[in-house]
Amino acid sequence: MSQLKAARYHESLTSALTQAQAHRSSRRAALRTSLVATGGAAIVLTGPSVFGFRSAMAQDFAGPVDVLNYALTLEHLEATFYREFNDEFSAMDIESAGFGSNVRGRLESIEAHEAEHVDVLVTVIDSLGGTPVTEAMYNFGVTDVDSYIATAQVLENLGTGAYTGAAQFLIDEDDLLTAALTIHGVEARHASYLNVLNGDSPFPEAFETALTPAEVLAAAGPLIVSEMPDTGTGAGTDAPGLGTYAALGALGLGAAAVVARTRESRTREEAVAVRA
Amino acid sequence: MPALHTLFMNAISEERNLQVSRRTLLGTGSKLAIGGTAAMVAMSSPAFARLVAAQAFTDDLDVLNYALTLEHLEYAFYRDGLAGYSADVFDDGVYDNLIDIRDHEDAHVDALISTINDLGGTPVEEAEYDFGYQNAAGFLAVAAALENTGVSAYDGAAASIENVAILNAAGSIVAVEARHASYLNLINGDDPFPAAFETPLSRDEILAIAGPFIVG
Repeated sequence: MSQLKAARYHESLTSALTQAQAHRSSRRAALRTSLVATGGAAIVLTGPSVFGFRSAMAQDFAGPVDVLNYALTLEHLEATFYREFNDEFSAMDIESAGFGSNVRGRLESIEAHEAEHVDVLVTVIDSLGGTPVTEAMYNFGVTDVDSYIATAQVLENLGTGAYTGAAQFLIDEDDLLTAALTIHGVEARHASYLNVLNGDSPFPEAFETALTPAEVLAAAGPLIVSEMPDTGTGAGTDAPGLGTYAALGALGLGAAAVVARTRESRTREEAVAVRA
Repeated sequence: MPALHTLFMNAISEERNLQVSRRTLLGTGSKLAIGGTAAMVAMSSPAFARLVAAQAFTDDLDVLNYALTLEHLEYAFYRDGLAGYSADVFDDGVYDNLIDIRDHEDAHVDALISTINDLGGTPVEEAEYDFGYQNAAGFLAVAAALENTGVSAYDGAAASIENVAILNAAGSIVAVEARHASYLNLINGDDPFPAAFETPLSRDEILAIAGPFIVG
């Protein structure tokens, strides 16, 4: 992969996150002022934001199955990612790259979680009479342990933002909402840990940034290079699905979230978790 | 559809039971006071499937004040606790992250109060607390218990929220609580993500956990 492609990819993958982060200060300001300044229950009931949030766009999804397939699309991507690179990189590879001896086990744990998320989502979508999206083919552009860990960080933070943004579409489905949130919290835990591993703050802001499906699609799309031959088209709606992702992937953006990390930051987990 | 939703819950419940059988959700924080012990018991209970059916909240204001009760407790814990410790009693970098957590809880309190006021409600006030820790290690253990409990509280209450904007706000808070919980588990030597799914807890279960901390 060329340097240019790598740079373009990195820019693409992180743009949704950084764009949202750019709203951080205004979001914080909104916390303390907008609710009061714009006043009253009416703004909460009908207005565009609480805590600086954008309002729900009900037309983003045709129904619960579409929301679940949206989640499943991301979980497939994550599950495949960890399966592939936990297989490719040995425990010794990871330690040789400067990470602590417990990191390998954590990555295996995350892999297992993502696989469980996939299994549950597939089961439920089937049960609801929908067609679960299937695993696609991906190009994560990972070339070494460093880029593996850096990409994992991006994916987990992206996933957390995606669930934060999508939960609202399940507001009329209490059980599904609760279930989705139980996944959401675990993605946030992964993100926190991977931030630490990459030398970043585990919790960079007081309120999680919600990402819209469009933002998530823009970030994850380049990783998806094609649908598998037997892949269906999801629930047959206009919700973001693999077809759209594949189209974005066809733009030719490569994949390599290589973020320079210092040896110091890589051993962060050992510094903060000496008893782990 | 309800039966199918139940299937989702059951599938997750089964997954979690597998996890619970291998470990306690809050790890082995031996220095936990009674509240933490209660947390470990409550979080191991198979309460998940019947949780959503429980309508413990009268309206969104009730949910918001419930959340505020917990955020008051968390903020007071970090504010008062960190005032008694210098950075050098913790491992490198930990103190700064604890300060960040304190500030997050402060922001959560402020935002919840503003929202409750805007809705015409009366925000609950901060209470007096006794967290029972004796030293920095005990402080960190209680911190982990509080954060993990907070995640379960939000996850258990979210389905009772009727307003989309409030649900979004709760979702943006619970993710940060989960990030805190992950980090605090890590620095306590526990698994940052001990299960594939969080454990939602009912209002009664949460109050049983948090209640012992509230002394006045």
